[in-house]
Amino acid sequence: MNLDNFKSAWQQQSTDTHSAIEINQAKLAEIKINKQIKALNKMKWARIIESCVFLIIIVLLWKYIAAGFTFSAPIISAFILNLFAIIGLAGNIGQIVLISNIDYSKPVNQLQKDFYRVCSHKLELTKLLLMSVPFYLAYVFIGFDLLFGIDLYQYLELHMIWFYSLSSVLLFIATAWVFAKLNYKNISEKWVNASVQFIVGKRLVTMAEFLNSSELIES
Amino acid sequence: MTTTKKTQFAQAMEQHKGIIYKIVNSYCQNKDDRQDLAQEILTTMWLAYDNYNNTYKFSTWMYRISLNVAISYYRKDSRREDKANEECIVKIADLSQEDESNEVVKQLYEFIGQLDKLNKAIMLLYLESESYESIANSLGISKTNVATRISRIKHTLKLQFETRDS
Repeated sequence: MNLDNFKSAWQQQSTDTHSAIEINQAKLAEIKINKQIKALNKMKWARIIESCVFLIIIVLLWKYIAAGFTFSAPIISAFILNLFAIIGLAGNIGQIVLISNIDYSKPVNQLQKDFYRVCSHKLELTKLLLMSVPFYLAYVFIGFDLLFGIDLYQYLELHMIWFYSLSSVLLFIATAWVFAKLNYKNISEKWVNASVQFIVGKRLVTMAEFLNSSELIES
Repeated sequence: MTTTKKTQFAQAMEQHKGIIYKIVNSYCQNKDDRQDLAQEILTTMWLAYDNYNNTYKFSTWMYRISLNVAISYYRKDSRREDKANEECIVKIADLSQEDESNEVVKQLYEFIGQLDKLNKAIMLLYLESESYESIANSLGISKTNVATRISRIKHTLKLQFETRDS
């Protein structure tokens, strides 16, 4: 049996199933929002709140920098953390724009990519936090300055500075590798699949698998 | 939405509502899910109708929206509890209670049910006699990708029928 032989039976179904589906047009006309749009709106508000948090962090860090502007470890640390906060804010603004432009009449693959980007927000935030791990000393320097008014860097011996620098470089290589790997293109790898599922949930894994399989033949 | 547009939507919907039936039966195994998905498709179309560009055929636009909603459809079990509070906008008859005479269609649904989400979409559009180019445009993938997948689907279907016959 050939698939083409089924076409007429399939198309005939449209007339046969006419009575199998009943639409209440009056109730439909009253609809202003549905579950998917409600979920998207909820996400948009969450991103707006997160953007405000990032903005507050940026303002506080700039105030901290402006208050004691010198070429010191805590101020350089504040610059680094500020950079991460700006990336976070930019990412959130991008998400708000993306959610506002969700269009269900787009080609399936394009819309599914948009959905993946919207739903992978938590994953992207985790990746951003992960990328700040090699700069862990920045948190320590600012913490010591804020809590005890001490520039810890001044008290570090040379071999400690070398140790921290080397550990940061190694951590940077490791986190950059993980950062690049946590992508839907690698979802078939067990640990990527498990990590995405742990961080965001099964839904994102399903979306990643869909995108990955749709691009498999293209490549 | 203006009254004229509402009427146009209602007429177009009545004419093409079979598409919803085909999609929900292809993407959902469970009756509650079919009902829920049909409602989501219908309401999404209703809310998007203001932006409908009539240079596209209504059925093409409808297929795109329906497939997008069906593919991104994800229902947590807890949401079943909300069901009692939901207003019923669409009612779908159970596939198993449909006319027994169309065994071919039932076999097709059975076969489509085994495919992955993208191949289900390709199969549905192919069965509507859409060209490879139109399928590629609707799905946002290349024509070669569509052709390769259709040929694989045909091969799998042939094997299944041969196994069943023997």
